Amino acid sequence: MLKIYGRATSYNVQKVMWLVAELGLPHQRIDVGGKFGGLDTPEFLAMNPNGKIPVIDDGGVIVWESNAIVRYLAAKYSLGQWCPADAGQRAQADQWMTWASGELHAGVIGVFWNFFRTKEANRDWALIRTCEQKCVTEYALLERRLTSQPHLSGDHLTMGDIPAAGTLYRYFTMDIQRPNLPNVEAWYQRLSQRPAYREHVMVPYAELKDTL
Amino acid sequence: MLKVLGQPASINVRKVLWACDEIGIAYEREDWGGATRPTSDPAFLALNPNGLVPVVIDDGLVLRESNTIIRYLANKHGRDDLLPQSAATRAQVEMWMDWQATEFNSSWRYAVQALVRKNPNFQDSDQIDASIKSWAKHVQILDRQLATTGAFVAGSEFSAADIPMGLSVNRWFMTPLDHPTFEAVAAYYERLSHRPAFMKHGRNGVA
Repeated sequence: MLKIYGRATSYNVQKVMWLVAELGLPHQRIDVGGKFGGLDTPEFLAMNPNGKIPVIDDGGVIVWESNAIVRYLAAKYSLGQWCPADAGQRAQADQWMTWASGELHAGVIGVFWNFFRTKEANRDWALIRTCEQKCVTEYALLERRLTSQPHLSGDHLTMGDIPAAGTLYRYFTMDIQRPNLPNVEAWYQRLSQRPAYREHVMVPYAELKDTL
Repeated sequence: MLKVLGQPASINVRKVLWACDEIGIAYEREDWGGATRPTSDPAFLALNPNGLVPVVIDDGLVLRESNTIIRYLANKHGRDDLLPQSAATRAQVEMWMDWQATEFNSSWRYAVQALVRKNPNFQDSDQIDASIKSWAKHVQILDRQLATTGAFVAGSEFSAADIPMGLSVNRWFMTPLDHPTFEAVAAYYERLSHRPAFMKHGRNGVA
């Protein structure tokens, strides 16, 4: 059975769990990372030398790096749907994933770690403001993309939507300043109608506050 | 013909040029970014709203993000040796590419700004030391992986993952710092140097 290593409150684990649930794959999730620890054991490092979650073990196939896992699961279990079959469409989905993990992630997960997770006394406000500004820039790009289509990938969700869509619960529920983003908000509302998104992405994160 | 937009000193543009030569794709390149044409030009922003190079245009398809472009080119040209069709073996290549783009690349950012670009905004000695330390820790992870495979990052054969990794290793050796010894990484650098496309676009005197 597919095993997923990683705590449910990790954004990177959530991307994988959301897709696993959308695909209806039988699975077992094992809590590691954060308060559960277990990332520096020889057994874990033998799976992922980088010592980070998520990691999957799919019948002996070990994959780490959340986007690589999402692409693997989509290609193996949903070629033609969650992973577009056409080379060009597949590359565009891949591109949105890479963009979300670099640019969008630097903004929103930057705010999450440096503001929400960091104790007030330790906060670097210049850094937090830089991350907030990065959010403004990058979500504006999403806003424009969603003007003409319901999802980043077009009419249907694909793997290309997962990393960006996975940030929305945190972005819209953190106590921060946000610009007006009607298309992105409407997208978030549509996604929150999906049981898999609600269960695996809209995971309360209050326990992570002030832990750094 | 494939069009590659981006100036050739950019590490991310060099990844794409190396991939093109490795696969044997003819391309024309247009200078954008760096000391050439600014990517803030509306014509460029229309192609990549992030204003980052490289961008490629392939028969009307516009793509950005260097690792995505490498995967696209290998996939489109049926280069199973660079990017296997089998999901399981392909994932072994892709996870190292993602690791390069996220973890590895983040580790050297401050040190490269300070020591290679000589950027006056990146001259805090504590932060330079922290970046070098983190960078070395990541090179060590790569070193262990290469010691295990005995050859290339995803196994015994050259794959698409060696393109971003080869450029990263070149950057490591080209940056003026006190390099700890990593034997498997040093051997890998020499192994890659047998490839003309790496010598042209990777180990070409640029960090």
